[in-house]
Amino acid sequence: MSLELKPKRWAGAIREVTLGSGSRRPVTVGGGNGLPLHTFEASFPHRPVFALEITDVAPPRWIDTVRQPWNGVLGQPAAAARRAVDEFGADLVMLHLMGTHPDRGNRSPDDAAADVRAVLESVRVPLIVKGPGAGPKQNDVLARVAEECQGEGLVLHSACQEEYKTLAAVAVAYGHVLVAESPIDMNIAKQLNILLSDASMDLRHTLIDPLTGGLGYGLEYTYSVMERIRLAALGGDAMLSSPMICLVGEEAWKAKEVKVSGGVHWEVATALTLIEAGAEVLVLRHPEALARLRKQVDCWFGGETCR
Amino acid sequence: MSKIIAEAAIRGAYACMNRAEAMLSEAIHRHGRAKSIAFPDTAYALPVILALVGKRVEKLGDLEEALQVARTWLPAPPTEKLWLPYLGGTLDAGAATLVAHEAVEAMKPRLAFDFWLGPTPDSILREQGIKLVDGRMPGFAACVGAAPSDEVAEQLARDLQERNILVFMGGNTGGETMAAQLNRRGVEMNWETFLVPYGPDTSSIVHALGFACRAAFTFGGLRPGGIKETREILLYNKRRVMAFVLALGEVDDEKYATAAGAINFGFPVIADTDIPEILPSGICTYEHVVANVAHRDMPSRAVEVRGVKIRTVEIPIPVRHGPAFEGERVRKEDVAVEFGGKYTRCFEYLTSRPMDRLQDGLIRVVGPEIADVPEGARLPLAIFVEVAGRKMQPEFESILERHIHSFLSEPMGVMHLGQRDSVWLRISKKARDAGFRIEHLGTVLLHKLRNDFPAIVDKVQVTLFTGSDDVEKLYPEAAAAYQHRDERMGALTDESVDIFYSCALCQSYAPNHVCIITPERLGLCGAYNWLDGKAAYEMNPHGGNLPVKKVEVVDPVLGQWKGINDFIQNASNGAFLKFSAYSMINDPMTSCGCFECIACILPGTGGIMIVDREFSGQTPVGMTFSSLAEMTGGGQQTPGFIGIGTLYILSKKFISADGGLARLVWTTTRVKQKLGDKLRQRCEEIGQPELYGKIADETICTELEPLIEHLAAVEHPALALGEMI
Ligand code: SF4
Repeated sequence: MSLELKPKRWAGAIREVTLGSGSRRPVTVGGGNGLPLHTFEASFPHRPVFALEITDVAPPRWIDTVRQPWNGVLGQPAAAARRAVDEFGADLVMLHLMGTHPDRGNRSPDDAAADVRAVLESVRVPLIVKGPGAGPKQNDVLARVAEECQGEGLVLHSACQEEYKTLAAVAVAYGHVLVAESPIDMNIAKQLNILLSDASMDLRHTLIDPLTGGLGYGLEYTYSVMERIRLAALGGDAMLSSPMICLVGEEAWKAKEVKVSGGVHWEVATALTLIEAGAEVLVLRHPEALARLRKQVDCWFGGETCR
Repeated sequence: MSKIIAEAAIRGAYACMNRAEAMLSEAIHRHGRAKSIAFPDTAYALPVILALVGKRVEKLGDLEEALQVARTWLPAPPTEKLWLPYLGGTLDAGAATLVAHEAVEAMKPRLAFDFWLGPTPDSILREQGIKLVDGRMPGFAACVGAAPSDEVAEQLARDLQERNILVFMGGNTGGETMAAQLNRRGVEMNWETFLVPYGPDTSSIVHALGFACRAAFTFGGLRPGGIKETREILLYNKRRVMAFVLALGEVDDEKYATAAGAINFGFPVIADTDIPEILPSGICTYEHVVANVAHRDMPSRAVEVRGVKIRTVEIPIPVRHGPAFEGERVRKEDVAVEFGGKYTRCFEYLTSRPMDRLQDGLIRVVGPEIADVPEGARLPLAIFVEVAGRKMQPEFESILERHIHSFLSEPMGVMHLGQRDSVWLRISKKARDAGFRIEHLGTVLLHKLRNDFPAIVDKVQVTLFTGSDDVEKLYPEAAAAYQHRDERMGALTDESVDIFYSCALCQSYAPNHVCIITPERLGLCGAYNWLDGKAAYEMNPHGGNLPVKKVEVVDPVLGQWKGINDFIQNASNGAFLKFSAYSMINDPMTSCGCFECIACILPGTGGIMIVDREFSGQTPVGMTFSSLAEMTGGGQQTPGFIGIGTLYILSKKFISADGGLARLVWTTTRVKQKLGDKLRQRCEEIGQPELYGKIADETICTELEPLIEHLAAVEHPALALGEMI
């Protein structure tokens, strides 16, 4: 006897968001109308996509395992971006402007804008730009970058509940996508999206970053919040139906365990869990993790039997 | 709307329109319709026309069409016989005036002399306009005309600069201009100093509105088009661009007309002369025209009328401060000065006043300052805080007052304990040596109240009385207020209100949980009562607290209402269909995880026990608090188990559907201590004064068998009530 599955139909769906415009080859995410990976009952016009993280200055805290694939190009964003795309097959690149942080070099907004320009010239994929973190510098840097790269559909990472007005204004003014970051808290995720739409942001140009906890460091917490966000979105809550982005590499490679062994496994395990929870843009650090995840995702969505 | 203003504005609008049309026909005659026309370095053509008419003017011919459209907006001038007191016609006249002004400004030769800056290029708009939109710059002042003297002009400009407000200047009063006045005083005027002179004609002030329109286009993503788009642009300005007009000197017809134009944007007019006022709000957030304001008061009055909120980034006190210092103790040896505790009278009292009764920012120490007394001195202290705000309600006084504790705990070297008249406050020697004075307590309160409660607090005044006589004189008023508030809170019943408040703050970890906070049942974390919910909603309508209408009663005994049940279904994502406010057996409220106490039934006793979070031992139900918490929490409805705020025990509605307080057979000594006399009083109120003594605690037993024996021995009323399930 065969088991008949009655497909679950939801009132809502995930919003489609296109990353990159202008001189970029755009990438669209979202659009699914069912729970993550429920390909047997829902349709998913776009698969999860993978970005590799590159940095404006040599990242002091990256451990050897994850530095190794980037030998020779660390802290050289244009060259690193080329390697990420041409050799490692990244769908997108995330340039983390860590050197603009007041305590880590304090590079100027103009330096940052020049770096972003250089990356835009070296690759054609959409670009995620991560600022130095909340505070006045974040706004100065990202606002300058946004203005410099008008019309490129950059993904600006990120606005938070306390500081969203400046970035919302520049995202609107210069045609970029804005990441709304909330501290593993569904209420704040929702409230921030309400605030952003109130500040004239079209939610078709926003992503939610629910804030990732790495495997062993709060992953299950992130998982359940993402699950909640997804369920609410599918239930019809438009303020939560933006696709989600997760900075996987950053969290996974922070774990103590990666120093002992298997850093790549750690990154892959974290990412797989997050994909199951609904992540659609995953930012990784190790190209091997990307390759393995890509295989898995292709296999899930390609309809072949997975082994 | 005043007929005088309406008449003057409409007359002025005709005059402006006639002038613009005359200039235009002259220009067309000389250059032809195909001649291009533009402001330099902008992608927004003539921005006010683009916003109001929805037309991109690039040639004289386009301008002709735009003026034709604007002329149709001019209403018939009011006559003796026919006068319709509509704001609408005057506003339309104002809009037409702005179109005419911009046309004139675009056609007139550039002012290439003196200090006039003329129209603003897009590059500056991008740099400065964003500050208006994201709030870094609180707003802009469009100053029209001239001050009575150079000194007054400079003072006004400085006062505005001090508040970080961008100043646009345009127009003249009898040939004199504010910019010329500032120039004579040697004041630098440019975009760096935030003093921007546009031009000597009234029409030049239209550039300020053009600036606002372009901010809406650029940062609001708004597009020009028809009526709907225009409305959106105006609304955007009303909500995001905190601007106002300062009318200096005599207001002639054209200035009235221009002011009417600005009101369309929600920008009110503050005048230094005695012109008719338009007070009730409608288009603007508050008043439209406020007259006869002294120059020294203009900035603060304007800020208030426009509802501009100014945030302090750094609180100006000589020591570090922040939540990190909250738990800090100042030891006896380190005390510079001390108030309250068991030594002197020390209390804090916050009250609200009408807006015009307060001088915002005034801090006074009445009595000795820290330097006037020997080290380690003990002084009495009354912290008297007066606040005013458009949305302030007397009900919020106690909420703000309760925050004094956390505010005054934040400066390093200040210890604050207690509240109301049980305050104990110490300032350390180190803080004193760094320059901290008693006055700075006021500084902290002033900035914290303004920053943390911008929605309800507009003005703050703090007086610190440190002399015995003054403190004793104020005390009866404070004591009466405390008592009055308690009585009001006591009189507030679930039946007396139509609205309860929800709280969904805990949903992030208890997915389907939502607290319904009623006047007689506070949130289960103990931190939110009904008034807090009300204030929180007032301050942030997008936050976790929403008003929920009760609608009709479904079951008065269980405490179920249709509106509440509907809300629960929605908020719990369909997981729950109904909630009882007064029962822990039938459809009890869900429990998240941060309950102060857990109440659970004790089979065999006919009663319940209540254990608080701090209690780590065993309880008669055979579980510790933490294992009970696992059963109770997580946003589930578990009949027989609920999380509660401790104070709920004192409520008349405490599990009233299940038998009420008489069911309580066991609790912890900590709960008993916390509730103390009030619990005794409740026992008396329900006609069982001996009940208090019959409630067991951990000093009597922590297991079920001995408890049942104890209850039988004391003849606890619960035994007679029968089993709950
Ligand atoms: S427990 Fe407190 S914070 Fe949590 S939802 Fe209830 S009232 Fe809100």
